[in-house]
Amino acid sequence: MKKLELIKIVITVLLCALLVVPIILSNHSWPTQARDYLFDNARSDTGATNTVSAIYLGYRAMDTLGETLVLLVSVTGTMAILVKLGKEQSDEEATSFSLAPEKRPTNRLRTHLLETVASKLGPIVLLFGFYVMLYGHISPGGGFQGGVIVASAIVFLALGTEVKSKLTNTLVLSRIEALSFLVLILASISGVFFESGFFGNPIKSASSLSANFIILLNIIIGLKVGTSIAVMCIAMMGGSHDH
Amino acid sequence: MNMLLLSLILALGIYALLSRDLLHSVIALSAISMLSALLFTILRAPDVAITEAAVGAGVSTVIFVWAIRHTQRRDKEES
Amino acid sequence: MIIERILIALLFLSGFTAIVGMRNIIRKVFGLNLLNAAVLLLFILEGSRIGNQAPILDEGITTMVDPIPQALMLTAIVIGVCVTALSLALAVRLYRATGSLDIQVITERLKSEH
Repeated sequence: MKKLELIKIVITVLLCALLVVPIILSNHSWPTQARDYLFDNARSDTGATNTVSAIYLGYRAMDTLGETLVLLVSVTGTMAILVKLGKEQSDEEATSFSLAPEKRPTNRLRTHLLETVASKLGPIVLLFGFYVMLYGHISPGGGFQGGVIVASAIVFLALGTEVKSKLTNTLVLSRIEALSFLVLILASISGVFFESGFFGNPIKSASSLSANFIILLNIIIGLKVGTSIAVMCIAMMGGSHDH
Repeated sequence: MNMLLLSLILALGIYALLSRDLLHSVIALSAISMLSALLFTILRAPDVAITEAAVGAGVSTVIFVWAIRHTQRRDKEES
Repeated sequence: MIIERILIALLFLSGFTAIVGMRNIIRKVFGLNLLNAAVLLLFILEGSRIGNQAPILDEGITTMVDPIPQALMLTAIVIGVCVTALSLALAVRLYRATGSLDIQVITERLKSEH
């Protein structure tokens, strides 16, 4: 039986190679019309200097809405499986993350290094995450990047056991996530009522900050992505006691 | 420079698939994400580099380590 | 230029071989990640050929890199991590139900339970 399986695997890989490798190795010239158009018009159409942010929050905001929906569905599915797993083995040691205090004297190499350093670094990384989120329209960064950094900061705060803050409570984080998804839907529909189309800019007045819609969308997406990934990671580490 | 980084990424990828210990493969995947982020910075794509570094070396590694912790770490049978 | 494309094609094929050929289900998820990494590298490599400056419209830049593949790959990275998380949760659930991580042992045990 092993020879038959090997032949099947080789035939499948050869078939995939026949279909895919000519596409990867082909040498056509890359077209430049899109780059020239965006170079001239991106700043006046959306108000953002970062062209990549102008694309996925201005011209193609529908893709961002779909991606947020995929993130929501996958985190909900993972949490549903995790909660069921946690109920089956509530008395095993594998769900707790840090070593229990009564085991510490016998395990020489486990010191307090991780908890101390992580709890001191957590607020600094949180501040950096908010900075990357808010300045996404003029420098590299934006909603997703800042959101993932905020999620890492919340995981740091959950690892350090010195301070019990509301930020590591899974109930609070899931409320923030649901609220920001609702605000995203409202912000996308509001363009219809202000005669600029679905996902259009409803505040197109001549104010000094012409990129306000992009800043608002960055904040909403950053909060949503950050809190949903943080809820998933904290539930994996076994810290969701009040869910 | 691009060729050197790409060949390192390929070597780490093949090591990640053939190693016996699953935790070594997870560290190799995290190193692939870091080298990819460096390559994206060289190719003038700073947004993608920040996202790949934060997601690949942060969140993805945590999820893999959780999965290995709750199952087994070594291959009991043949791969 | 052609050597870089050959290396990316080899990475793609090794990820595909891992999904089809390996018996441990966590190694199949490794293959999925390698596939994702290969596609990201290919698009950004191709998009960076037509310019030599980052796509941020500061003063005095002349030829910037194509920004459209970068915007597409941002979405691809996030969806890759979502698929990895969900598939690993399913793998751990299968391990709890049958006691093994080998795909043939799992199919035999699930068939014999019915």
